Amino acid sequence: VEMSVQRLISNRTSQQSASNSDYTWEYEYYEIGPVSFEGLKAHKYSIVIGFWVGLAVFVIFMFFVLTLLTKTGAPHQDHAESSEKRFRMNSFVSDFGRPVEPDKVFSRQGNEESRSLFHCYINEVDHLDRPKACHQTTAFDSDVQFQEALRGSGRPEEELNRLMKFDIPNFVNSDQNSSFGEDDLLISDPPIVLENKPVCQTSHKDMD
Amino acid sequence: MKHIINPYENINNSARNNSDCPPVVLPEEIFFTISIVGVLENLIVLLAVIKNKNLQSPMYFFICSLAISDMLGSLYKILENILIMFRNMGYLKPRGNFETTADDIIDSMFILSLLGSIFSLSVIAVDRYITIFHALKYHSIVTMRRTVVILTIIWTFCTGSGITMVVFSHHIPTVLTFTSLFPLMLVFILCLYVHMFLLARSHARKISTLPRANMKGAITLTILLGVFIFCWAPFVLHVLLMTFCPNNPYCACYMSLFQVNGMLIMCNAVIDPFIYAFRSPELRDAFKKMIFCNRYQ
Repeated sequence: VEMSVQRLISNRTSQQSASNSDYTWEYEYYEIGPVSFEGLKAHKYSIVIGFWVGLAVFVIFMFFVLTLLTKTGAPHQDHAESSEKRFRMNSFVSDFGRPVEPDKVFSRQGNEESRSLFHCYINEVDHLDRPKACHQTTAFDSDVQFQEALRGSGRPEEELNRLMKFDIPNFVNSDQNSSFGEDDLLISDPPIVLENKPVCQTSHKDMD
Repeated sequence: MKHIINPYENINNSARNNSDCPPVVLPEEIFFTISIVGVLENLIVLLAVIKNKNLQSPMYFFICSLAISDMLGSLYKILENILIMFRNMGYLKPRGNFETTADDIIDSMFILSLLGSIFSLSVIAVDRYITIFHALKYHSIVTMRRTVVILTIIWTFCTGSGITMVVFSHHIPTVLTFTSLFPLMLVFILCLYVHMFLLARSHARKISTLPRANMKGAITLTILLGVFIFCWAPFVLHVLLMTFCPNNPYCACYMSLFQVNGMLIMCNAVIDPFIYAFRSPELRDAFKKMIFCNRYQ
């Protein structure tokens, strides 16, 4: 790209050569009009310094905005009720979601990989082997799946009925539990047994 | 980019003041080393994906696309170094046809690598976004066929743009198009990742792992975006200044750091595998398998 700009500037001053006058700029690469450094008001490297400082400030600002987002008040407090419902759904969605119709709902292999990788992006899962890496996202996955199911169909009841057609071996009646806290989520999760590891403990441990 | 001619060969010293900004020259060995490391790393990523059937999914294909563009960028530098060496040893006629043609080809390889990197990063962000927000429909949205089609379109566009930009590189609209791609893609990627981050945050809050998970998420996002910005913005600004104010002393001082800016792009090729490819446990396992299998054979 520099070459082309030099062409533009040096076209006026370049010598004609036999083959191609466009390429005689090269000798003038460092002679593009003498740049006068007299009478500079600011430091000569001011653009350099200003640019790098600005860049650093921007990245740090972005980082602080991201961390502040985590600390500001929850915009989801008004959705507490719907989140409770989500937690209840999580239990039986997770129960049957994967094994029953792997091909139709989602292919276990691919989706686990792709979704588990989001948590792998965020959590350094150096020490985890593959089954665990897939496990730790089950709560997350089911949440997302459920949200997606709601968003996708637009009719929660219909979607729910479709999901409930499947056999639910260990459905814990957590829907009768009115005060649903995070401990309840953990209680409702154990029925999920994917490759011999209880999800909640794995996710809880690994999110630390 | 134009280091084919030794820059100090014909400097008219009388035209320069004592207080000017001398171009910062980095030893060619540094460029060479960084480029070779970049090529090797990205080659490893490509081999790991090619050799493992379970890694042949759309997400890894996008990471491969990023690895290819990084590899092209590093190869560009190696080829340029080789041309410089030949030129200095006298095998190449300066300003001869072969040299200028080779130079043009190498320049288009550089622009191809830049555009390929930008588009690959964007498409990786889109893929992750679809993974998070359209999880159930992911496999119907992102099929292998669509992946191949999208990658073909991207690379065809980048190749065409690279050749066009090199041919028409002295026109200002070309430069403006090129330099505007960077902030556009940056804003796009930023929006996608921040939205994903917000969802992860709301989920993390529900399972009461708030402080650390979110801190890690913030750090990861900052690293992803920060590396992109730090490695690309200096060069993009250089191109802008070169087009619009080549005679301004402040701009000239910024442009004297051209080699540093170029080196940052090489560093981006080296860092990208670590923040994209090797963060995936599956790919790390495949990589270890490759190394250990080779050792045992």
